[in-house]
Amino acid sequence: MSDTTSLSEGDELIQSHGEAAAESNGEGRTNRRRATAQSMAASQKEISVSEFFAKNRHLLGFDNPRKALLTTVKEAVDNALDACEEAGILPEIWVHIQRVGEDRFKVGVQDNGPGILRQQIPLIFGKLLYGSKFHRMRMSRGQQGIGISAAGMYGLLTTGKPVKIMSKVSKRSDAHYYELQIDTKRNRPEILNGKGEGVVIEPNDKGRRDIEKHGIEWIEIDHGTRVTIELEARYLRGRGSVDDYLEQTAMANPHVTLHYIDPDAGLWDRPRVTDTLPPEPREIKPHPYGVELGRLVGMLRETKAPTVGQFLIQSFSRVSPAVARKICETAKIGVRSSPVKCGRQEADAIYQAIQQAKIPAPATDCLVPIGEDLILKGLHQLLPGEFYAAATRPPAVYRGNPFVIEVGLAFGGTSAAQRVSREGLQEMLDASDARTLRQFLSSSFDGIGADSADKIIAEADMRPRVSPGKLEPEEITKLHEAMRNVNLNDGQSMSILRYANRVPLQFQAAACAITQTVLSTNWRSYGLSQSRGSLPSGPVTLMVHMASVWVPFTSESKEAVASYPEIQKELRLALQSVGRKLAMFLRKRLRVKHEGQRRQIFLRYLGEVAKAVSRINSADEEKLYEQLLEVAKKRTLDADVRLDDRGRPIDEKEIDFGKNVIIVDPDAEI
Amino acid sequence: MASKTKTQVTLAPRDTKTLKRLNELADVVVTAADRCKDPHVDIPARTLSNVRYNKARRFIEMGRNTNRRQLFNLSQAKSFMQTMLVASGVTQLIEQGKTTSIRGLFYLMKHTIHGTKEETFDNQGESDPVIEDVEVLLNSLREELHLYAKKAGEMVGDITLVDSGDEINCARMGSGGYGIPSIVEPEVIQFKKTSAKFILHVEKDTVWQRFNEDRFWRNNDCILIHGGGQPPRGVRRMLYRLHNELKLPVYCLLDNDPWGYYIYSVIKQGSINLAYESQRMAIPDARFLGLRSIDYERCALSDSVQIALNDIDRKRAKQIANYPWFANKKPWQKEIQKLLDNGFKLEVEALISKDISYVTEEYTPQRLKDGNWLD
Repeated sequence: MSDTTSLSEGDELIQSHGEAAAESNGEGRTNRRRATAQSMAASQKEISVSEFFAKNRHLLGFDNPRKALLTTVKEAVDNALDACEEAGILPEIWVHIQRVGEDRFKVGVQDNGPGILRQQIPLIFGKLLYGSKFHRMRMSRGQQGIGISAAGMYGLLTTGKPVKIMSKVSKRSDAHYYELQIDTKRNRPEILNGKGEGVVIEPNDKGRRDIEKHGIEWIEIDHGTRVTIELEARYLRGRGSVDDYLEQTAMANPHVTLHYIDPDAGLWDRPRVTDTLPPEPREIKPHPYGVELGRLVGMLRETKAPTVGQFLIQSFSRVSPAVARKICETAKIGVRSSPVKCGRQEADAIYQAIQQAKIPAPATDCLVPIGEDLILKGLHQLLPGEFYAAATRPPAVYRGNPFVIEVGLAFGGTSAAQRVSREGLQEMLDASDARTLRQFLSSSFDGIGADSADKIIAEADMRPRVSPGKLEPEEITKLHEAMRNVNLNDGQSMSILRYANRVPLQFQAAACAITQTVLSTNWRSYGLSQSRGSLPSGPVTLMVHMASVWVPFTSESKEAVASYPEIQKELRLALQSVGRKLAMFLRKRLRVKHEGQRRQIFLRYLGEVAKAVSRINSADEEKLYEQLLEVAKKRTLDADVRLDDRGRPIDEKEIDFGKNVIIVDPDAEI
Repeated sequence: MASKTKTQVTLAPRDTKTLKRLNELADVVVTAADRCKDPHVDIPARTLSNVRYNKARRFIEMGRNTNRRQLFNLSQAKSFMQTMLVASGVTQLIEQGKTTSIRGLFYLMKHTIHGTKEETFDNQGESDPVIEDVEVLLNSLREELHLYAKKAGEMVGDITLVDSGDEINCARMGSGGYGIPSIVEPEVIQFKKTSAKFILHVEKDTVWQRFNEDRFWRNNDCILIHGGGQPPRGVRRMLYRLHNELKLPVYCLLDNDPWGYYIYSVIKQGSINLAYESQRMAIPDARFLGLRSIDYERCALSDSVQIALNDIDRKRAKQIANYPWFANKKPWQKEIQKLLDNGFKLEVEALISKDISYVTEEYTPQRLKDGNWLD
């Protein structure tokens, strides 16, 4: 959380004069004007970003109380992880959600990151669009510098409570405690405590007394930051919940230790799986192919480079002097001409020339994929199953932005519905706002469709329209048993976990390029059944990760990846790669089963044949049976020796799934 | 056990021959097993594609196509086992000198396969085709396997025959008639004397009853037979023997529908399923007396006796019209076309609507007198 740059005033304000022009046409039947240009001018004024987002909070993911809680936790955790990784610290995160009222929660998120300098704290948490990540081309979770301040603003709007921040830079230095609120009119932080100066907490016993005195929540660590926001929210378990988000975050971030206290004081600790931090992503300059004309004009105006040639080389990645010369030649602009003097026409010429020039693809070492190994580890740890495969694609480029697609696949195992405890189920039922039991089942659990829900309800001998909140204890027990007993694999459909830069995406699945690509992939050829236009069925979980210096989200709330053809192509290739491995596994399983059945059938009839034959010609029945048994074994050797895809016999141990596959014996005792 | 029974029964030369063939069949399995090979048998195919019409002999003959049945083939393993079971069951029958019905054999062989819940044969529908397979496989007749089919069909008329040593006068059978056994080979039945001039074969017992009650056979000097629909082997073999040994022409009075045509076709040319027995059953000179599709108008029948043709009937009629033994016969093409044009079928009983004894007193004598039949 070491944000360093600020936006210029001009960027921050959104001009509004479009409506005025439209309205002044005046089409009333009487000729009398309703308003004059002068009277309207009086009400035309600047709108601050904060005001804009306060009104349009759905754009940031605060459309309903349930989502608000998740977005708040998510922004805080994302920032914490970014800060720790940037400082090279193995992240340890505490998430504490406390219920303070009927629909009011206090969210506290603490990290062991580098801490934030005193003077930066108010700006980072109390000003929208303030951050370090917007202008640089570097892979990080946060992008715009809106999220955490917006969460604070939402808290303020709904509860009137300020955002509380405690940050400490090192063991021996003072910690700083602030209570902030955003002045939405001016998009500026206001410090409420310590007479507008904040409070200094000394690193000694006096400091500890101060912490007590001010009622600060703080887990004592050498350095780190804690943000506490009180907000109006709803806490629900199940799909799209905070619990889900944290679990998925843990899966994509195996180097993170998470401590989570949920509103019911349930403790969930998830220690890290690996002690190695992901390599630090390198910051890169934009690639020429990805720059738009307007941006190019702006860059030309701002650059300090003396010549256009220098400008091209310095501001963009992958532009060598030769490439710069070539661009200038095509644009018919002198290499040595001054960039400041370039007008719109020249900029356009340069822009066109860039599109025609042959420029190498951007460097891709700025991307840090999770890696196939860690994806497998993460999947294996969090999802029970029989087969795991992972694939990381080589980096590719969309609109000048490098990106990497990774896919992990887990097959088999039990669904969330079969792992939930009796108590957990009761809590979920109590908290659910679903109107019917059927709706509750299909909305709370991944992989339960309408069919499976009906099956469970039928098994539990209940009415599908019964309200989930009104179940008797013994009915809940019956439902719980039914959920465990019903074979959900049949009606189960694939569940998809989407990630962008290691952040789980939980909403707007249908609008996301990832979901769309999964849907358009033909899974039938990989041994899964799939009806047209829907997800394949089967106990399959897919984890799809897109890592990029700039993930193209469809909205500011960062819920869905936009469908660029380049991204879809990479997605498809990655999906096909794990799909092929899954197909090999499924085919093998099927073949072994078939061969086994074949031999069974033959063996079944051999005794009868031997007996019948010996009765006719008095042959030795025993001997004949043994001989036929030998033939049967020879004929069904496939049950013992597997064949590979081309029908060549190979040794079981050598069956080649390629790298990055885990196979678990489903019958093994755990 | 097998050897014990062998000593008790003196085997007829024919049985010895059959037993030898059965042994050869069993040896196939033993030889294959000895060589660690996959045992198989080649069964002559009993399909339409494997029969051909012999123009010179004027009946259906079996072709040379065979179907291989393997033990180690998933879809054939069970039927291979069943084939061997039938062979062993038949061996038992022959060795003990007994005969049984095909249903009896089904029960003889039916048991639960050891260690499973599966039955060797689920129903008789499974064992009957296997029995026919064994017949063609061994090139043996059903009676040589000591098997007989369900008895169906009766005869009456001025003929005296000896059945298993008992002399039977078929003119003195009352209203019931002489039930034709399923095995009518010369060893069992010998003809003694007859005054009949021809044979009238009717489709089913109700019609036969009418003719018998009206003493048609006595008035017209004929033998009256019915086969209960599609005539079983015993009836066909009896017809064949009467026709060939006593030189009696055969006339058929069947329903005017594709099924009736087919019964005639089977009597005359032989059936696809039993093509291997055509030479001892087919009667190429059999004649089709009626009912004809023109009879609706010719006999001025009322509308209410019509039975509408359904899609299956139409399809079947067209198939029959294409049989090589009908294809080149113009009257037959006309007959079937007329049936299709009519759009309805007629049962022999339809003639009763004219008068109870119209069929016996007018229709049949008239046709015979005029020589009005299809060949």
